[in-house]
Amino acid sequence: MMDLSELRLKRRSRFWGEVLPYLGYVIQSGVAVLTLFLIIAFSAWYTSLVQHIPAGLPIRWIMLILFVPLTVNSSFRTYMQSADTVFLLPQESRMNQYFRASWTSGVIYKMIGVTLVFMVSWLLYFRADVDPKPFWLFLILLYALKIVASIGSWKEQQMVSKRAYSSYRLLRYAVIALALAAWLWQPAGKSLIFIALLVAAYMASLKIPSRHLVAWERLIALEKIHSGRVMLVLGWFVDVPGRQQRVYQRKWLSWAGNNIPWKPQAAYRYLLTKSFIRSDILGIVLRAAVLGALLVWWTRGTMLGSGIYLFFIFLIGVQMSSLLRYHSESFWLTVYPVPAESRHTNAVLLAFQIQLMFALLMWLPMLGALKSQMSTVFGTLVVGVVVCALFRFFLSRKVPKDEDDE
Amino acid sequence: MNDTSVLDIQGLSGGYSLNRPVLHDISLQVQPGEMVGLIGLNGAGKSTTMKHILGLMNPQKGDIRVKGKKREEDSAAYHGALAFVPESPLLYEEMTVREHLEFTARAYDVSQKDYEERAKKLAQIFRMEDKIDTLSTHLSKGMRQKVMIMCAFVARPSLYIIDEPFLGLDPLGIRSLLDFMVELKQGGSSILLSSHILSTIENYCDRFIVLHQGKVIAQGSLQEIAQQAGQPGVPLEQLFYSLVQGRD
Repeated sequence: MMDLSELRLKRRSRFWGEVLPYLGYVIQSGVAVLTLFLIIAFSAWYTSLVQHIPAGLPIRWIMLILFVPLTVNSSFRTYMQSADTVFLLPQESRMNQYFRASWTSGVIYKMIGVTLVFMVSWLLYFRADVDPKPFWLFLILLYALKIVASIGSWKEQQMVSKRAYSSYRLLRYAVIALALAAWLWQPAGKSLIFIALLVAAYMASLKIPSRHLVAWERLIALEKIHSGRVMLVLGWFVDVPGRQQRVYQRKWLSWAGNNIPWKPQAAYRYLLTKSFIRSDILGIVLRAAVLGALLVWWTRGTMLGSGIYLFFIFLIGVQMSSLLRYHSESFWLTVYPVPAESRHTNAVLLAFQIQLMFALLMWLPMLGALKSQMSTVFGTLVVGVVVCALFRFFLSRKVPKDEDDE
Repeated sequence: MNDTSVLDIQGLSGGYSLNRPVLHDISLQVQPGEMVGLIGLNGAGKSTTMKHILGLMNPQKGDIRVKGKKREEDSAAYHGALAFVPESPLLYEEMTVREHLEFTARAYDVSQKDYEERAKKLAQIFRMEDKIDTLSTHLSKGMRQKVMIMCAFVARPSLYIIDEPFLGLDPLGIRSLLDFMVELKQGGSSILLSSHILSTIENYCDRFIVLHQGKVIAQGSLQEIAQQAGQPGVPLEQLFYSLVQGRD
């Protein structure tokens, strides 16, 4: 009889066996130094914040914003493959064996993350809150909510109806947010009773929708997303062949690219623009830009603000550089009469234009300090544009892989 | 070599390894306005021949010319003169049907006006009007195959290389495709078509090329092949069976 837990273990080893060799390149690319630098910078800033906590710091809101996503986010690596719908389908009744390890590791690793963040944030919470909750009780509650969210997420994946799947996902966010808010704002005893009732009602509600024994197609699609994310992160530092991109429809952006000049030299720009607007990269860049703009607004007119602004431009530039790796193995670009040299130039230009656009948008909040710090405000913009131009310069010097091979 | 041939292959040998070529000294031509059926068993070398024509594989020996040009002489003119419909649809997951058509039209330098007319007509013929703004990931396999066909037809090059186009198409889709191929042929376009559904292509192709174990074992019109097989008046399927049987 097929050993399903062994099969998962083999698949896991194969996946990480493919990923691990790239980690050396990731470390060499300077990410280790940058991470160390960021940890030191964060430690210095955090220590100073803990020592001089500003009056009226909305610590409960900060804890809520910090822990809702950490507690509610649940994902499970199943390492499932498309062919499983044929070859593993006969084992459906025994698939619990296969999924057991997925579930355990999915919960345990995230609990370690929750613990780390909790221990770091505790210092601030304990000093800033007028009536902090007990350390152990808080941590145990986070663990308990994490397990509840994981159970909910796992059951959602099995739901037959797509609508139920989406609705219960929303419900999971609401339940966890409500439970944490009750814990942070209400007395411990009262809130624990409320949380217990809320969780019991939520768990009971999970029994209502009809579920697949194994939601094969959804699990396979989700696995593609998870493995794609790992490859996406690796792709920021090294060329990862054949990585799967997640596609978002984003109908509101479907107009983008339609006005690109109608000529073969610009055909690749059209393809690239369409790919970009529906890619993970756009989501990441948008989130970075919004966060960057908020931080810039908060620190406007100071040197720290300028530093944050330039850091986010750099971050967006790194993301945009991945455009150069798009469609590197595209079949149609070999067959279609798309001018070969137009691919690299179009990718560099598009990456530059998008980075520049975000550089301008993130600069706008700085205008709030225009009266008092005019030279800093405009000087920062100039340096920001120079950073974009430098990115363009270095990207244009990067030889595309196929040309390199020739 | 024939100067008027849209596709001219002379003495082509090639494959994945130098020591074990898949194709052995293949010569064939496709004339303007001609539909040629490339037939053979699985592994006979049909797809490998097509890959060589498309420039996805380099010949170990021999020449391939499209409209008189070799790929290494003028890659843009070579690729601009041909369009390909693969056996399995290969689409960009992040693009809609309309965007695939538009990308193809832009790449092939089709004017915007012509593109709009052709795209509208093709969407109508292949009954894809209500799917035109759907992402390719949300299409069924048959619909994805229709998009491949529509992309090739929106480009309107001189030569179409079509590999097993009927797989996954519904009966109406097959009929629309055949009718459209006839229309293109009448307009002067050439088609090299590979298919296992011999009874269907028998009535549509002007000539047939029979490949077996990487060699051309017969070619010509149905009557000419029947003569080569010594079985006049026999349907293509039976002729093919006689030609390949016992050759292993």
